[in-house]
Amino acid sequence: MVEVKLENIVKTFGETVALKGIDLHIKHGELFTLLGPSGCGKSTTLRIIAGLDFPDSGQLHFDDEDVTYKSSSERGAVLVFQNYALWPHMTVYDNVAYGLKVKKLPKQEIEKKVKWALELVKLQGYEDRYPTQLSGGQQQRVAIARALVVEPKLLLLDEPLSNLDAKLRLEMRSEIRRIQRELGITVIYVTHDQEEAMAISDRVAVMNIGQIEQVGTPKEIYEQPKTEFVAAFMGKTNVIPAEVVERDGDKVTVEFEGLRLDGLTYTGENDKVVVVIRPERISLHPIENAVSITGKVDLIEYYGFFIEVVGLFGERRIIARTINDRDVIGLRPQGGVTFYIEREDILVLPKTL
Amino acid sequence: MKVNKWTERFFGTPLFEPLVTFSYIFPLLYLMIFLIVPVLSMLLIAFTYDGNISLHWFKSILMDSYYLQVPPHGDFAQKLTTSTGESLYLIRGIDFGVVLNSLVVAGLVTLFTAILGTVFAFVIARYNFKGKNLFRIALFIPLLVTPFVNAYVIKQMFSEFGLINYIFHEILHVLPFRIKIDGLTGVVLAQSMAYYPIVYLNAYASFINIDPTLEEQAENLGSKGFRLFRTVTFPLALPGIAAGATLVFIFSLEDLAAPIVFHGDPLAKKLMSYQIFSKFIYGLGERSPEIAALSIIMLILAVIAFLGIRKYVSLRQYAMLSKGGRWKPRISKPKPWQALLIYLTLLPVLLLTIFPQIGVIMLAFSERWTTTVLPQGFTIDYIKEMLLNPDVRRFIVNSLSYSGAAVILIILLSITSSYATSRFKGILSPILESMVILPIAVPGIVVAMGYFYFFSAVTPENSPLNPTSLYGFNPALVLILAYSIRRLPFAARSVYAGLQQVHISLEESSINLGASRWKTVTGILMPLISLNVFGGAMLSFVYSMSETSVGITLGSINMDQAPITAFMKEVLMSAAGSINIAAALGVLLIVVQITAIVVVNIITKQRYSFIGLT
Ligand SMILES: Nc1ncnc2c1ncn2[C@@H]1O[C@H](COP(=O)(O)OP(=O)(O)OP(=O)(O)O)[C@@H](O)[C@H]1O
Ligand SMILES: [Mg+2]
Repeated sequence: MVEVKLENIVKTFGETVALKGIDLHIKHGELFTLLGPSGCGKSTTLRIIAGLDFPDSGQLHFDDEDVTYKSSSERGAVLVFQNYALWPHMTVYDNVAYGLKVKKLPKQEIEKKVKWALELVKLQGYEDRYPTQLSGGQQQRVAIARALVVEPKLLLLDEPLSNLDAKLRLEMRSEIRRIQRELGITVIYVTHDQEEAMAISDRVAVMNIGQIEQVGTPKEIYEQPKTEFVAAFMGKTNVIPAEVVERDGDKVTVEFEGLRLDGLTYTGENDKVVVVIRPERISLHPIENAVSITGKVDLIEYYGFFIEVVGLFGERRIIARTINDRDVIGLRPQGGVTFYIEREDILVLPKTL
Repeated sequence: MKVNKWTERFFGTPLFEPLVTFSYIFPLLYLMIFLIVPVLSMLLIAFTYDGNISLHWFKSILMDSYYLQVPPHGDFAQKLTTSTGESLYLIRGIDFGVVLNSLVVAGLVTLFTAILGTVFAFVIARYNFKGKNLFRIALFIPLLVTPFVNAYVIKQMFSEFGLINYIFHEILHVLPFRIKIDGLTGVVLAQSMAYYPIVYLNAYASFINIDPTLEEQAENLGSKGFRLFRTVTFPLALPGIAAGATLVFIFSLEDLAAPIVFHGDPLAKKLMSYQIFSKFIYGLGERSPEIAALSIIMLILAVIAFLGIRKYVSLRQYAMLSKGGRWKPRISKPKPWQALLIYLTLLPVLLLTIFPQIGVIMLAFSERWTTTVLPQGFTIDYIKEMLLNPDVRRFIVNSLSYSGAAVILIILLSITSSYATSRFKGILSPILESMVILPIAVPGIVVAMGYFYFFSAVTPENSPLNPTSLYGFNPALVLILAYSIRRLPFAARSVYAGLQQVHISLEESSINLGASRWKTVTGILMPLISLNVFGGAMLSFVYSMSETSVGITLGSINMDQAPITAFMKEVLMSAAGSINIAAALGVLLIVVQITAIVVVNIITKQRYSFIGLT
């Protein structure tokens, strides 16, 4: 178990600035997720923590030790690569046993541990296969077993579940969670899937082009996004550009498409803002003291256990979501509709994108 | 037209298509008639005794201590005294008998070149040091083929008063005595020095193609240094290294130049290639079953090595599992002690191995080279003579025209065969694919013997096409055919690679728009692969110019129509002219090769690794 601290880590590749000064503090035994779109620098951050790349500037500490320039082979921060990096010339068994052999463990112990790890990832019986004889998902599980078997104090997972089918992904996800708790190891997990991040993590850092946008528990990130980027990244949501037209202390009135929403909380300087409203917080029934906007129905989409009503307000589409199909009785495309939203469910953030 | 089961099975086209059928049939028939049948005709002779099928000749070879000598004879080194009274160690090697000698020599050459080639490849692939680009260029120099003269220079270097003794005995005093290398040891040395860049090129390609994350992962799990190399890096590069080494094995087995140069020492004659060659030369006109049997043994050894490596490499096609991702090549600056090691060991080896080519150039421009360290007296007489004397120029013209004609055949063969095998998968495609590269595994002297038997059997007696003709044999046709077969793999690989770069949908859309197969191939495909065809043709041309085995056997029956190499051999074996003129021809070949490499690299903007097996 280890505590990881990144201080102002900067990394450039030629002209590209991959990391623009990353600060993170990952606690003992935490499952910490780096979440962000493709190319934002997640893998680079992980590689620096693993000791496979070295930052241009900044410091990296494991507990109190400065490991910024310590070699990967001595760090004990084991990385599961995004591309698995299985050795094609070794069998599954030899792949998994490699780290143990390097540590010069006795043969019997190696056998025992490899068996344990392969059972963990449900690959018992595959010991003698070569990686080319495995499916993508099986390869990924070998990679996970190979990392877990050495019981690293810090485990780094770079999109470890990206190639598994939905069912196996859920299983492996809880498996990783369970193992992490059982072994009490610190895990840094990289994904671009926000749902996966929500489900698995103690805390999440949302990254965007080489920067950390926000760090917090899944609930905080989801409910209190601090920036437009985070709000937009956390699932399907309404992010509506608007303008502040009146201010009264920290209460403001904003306007978009000729519609006004008053009494919203906003303390930012900038008058260009975005209004963030989660679809499931929009009601199709009148609510007392709520703001309301009226427009036309553009589309009604059935998703099975919920229904989405896309309303058209001027040029702007806003999505409302309900789980009650009686709510949409009487609505039809091009007909009128009114959305009701409680003021506390409306977030006003400075426009930054 | 309806679906035709037969064309589908054989040629992989549901409908009968004349162009595709031709693309299969033409190269297949050609290789059949001019490679397989001649070699098989030799089998017939080798297995016949007293009119019956028999293993007699093989038995008589394997029972004869001249061919198999176990335990071996002789001393590896002998202590002698020079005319100046210093002690001299003469190193010639020991005699296992002809067949085993060939195997031991080829085995040792393979081992030495594998080690050297791998070390150079690893260092150049993984370290950035000052002068690395010079290293890389220099490593191409030993690959420049200068038949005979190159081995001659090596012989001089390692002679009693040669360069090596001069440096290590006279100047550096690290050798307390003089050494002289001759016999089988000389052959091993000459071949190792010339062939190690072949392993280097193959190994280098392997090292830089290893997905770096595979090594990063091992490092990340605690592995480093030699362990990392032994467990991950080396095994992953092994298929490439082995492919290069196998090529060296085959080249060493069939090489005639080094044994001929060292033939002053009878031990150097005790090699299969030399035995076949000399019995052929001195017993012309006879069908000797014994040489045929010896040729078969050599062929079998080469083919086993060849098939073995094909099998092994195809088993280990680590078509890297990795799913894309960015590669951060594992190149680092060497630590000071590593840099020192590079400059103190690799640099001297490199200088030593490029010296033969430098020596050839010096020899071409000098008056004599007897017992001095370097050739003496600058002159351009030999270059002049080569270009102006019709008796020498004739050989150049002959070689140029034979090679040119062969290249036309090669272009036709490589385009048809590559088009057929890359686009249409019938049961004939793997057969054709193997047959096209099979010539790599057939020693040149075996081709020569096969052609000799074949052409003397099928052409009218005393016609110019018959090698036993009493009225003068004209080797033109035979040489053109031999060149076109022996150098086909170079061009075919290049064209095949080009075709694989062109997505089949480009052709399909053309056909879909109503163009005929012929129009599609000539209008769409040919322009797209023209650079590959050009590169392959240049390669084949260059290596046809320096072809040795067939040129110095069948090609030297009638010296009026002989190629360059036949003349060079005459110079070395019978002092028909001075060695300097042979060196001048070597320089000409060097110029041709460098021009070709530069032109190909400029025009196709690709690096041709020139020699590979897979
Ligand atoms: N070796 C390299 N050379 C040049 N640029 C690089 C290199 N590695 C990363 N980059 C650049 O750094 C940025 C961050 O890359 P990184 O691989 O960390 O992204 P990522 O968040 O892991 O993306 P993905 O989700 O696609 O894996 C990208 O703009 C990328 O192009
Ligand atoms: Mg990544």
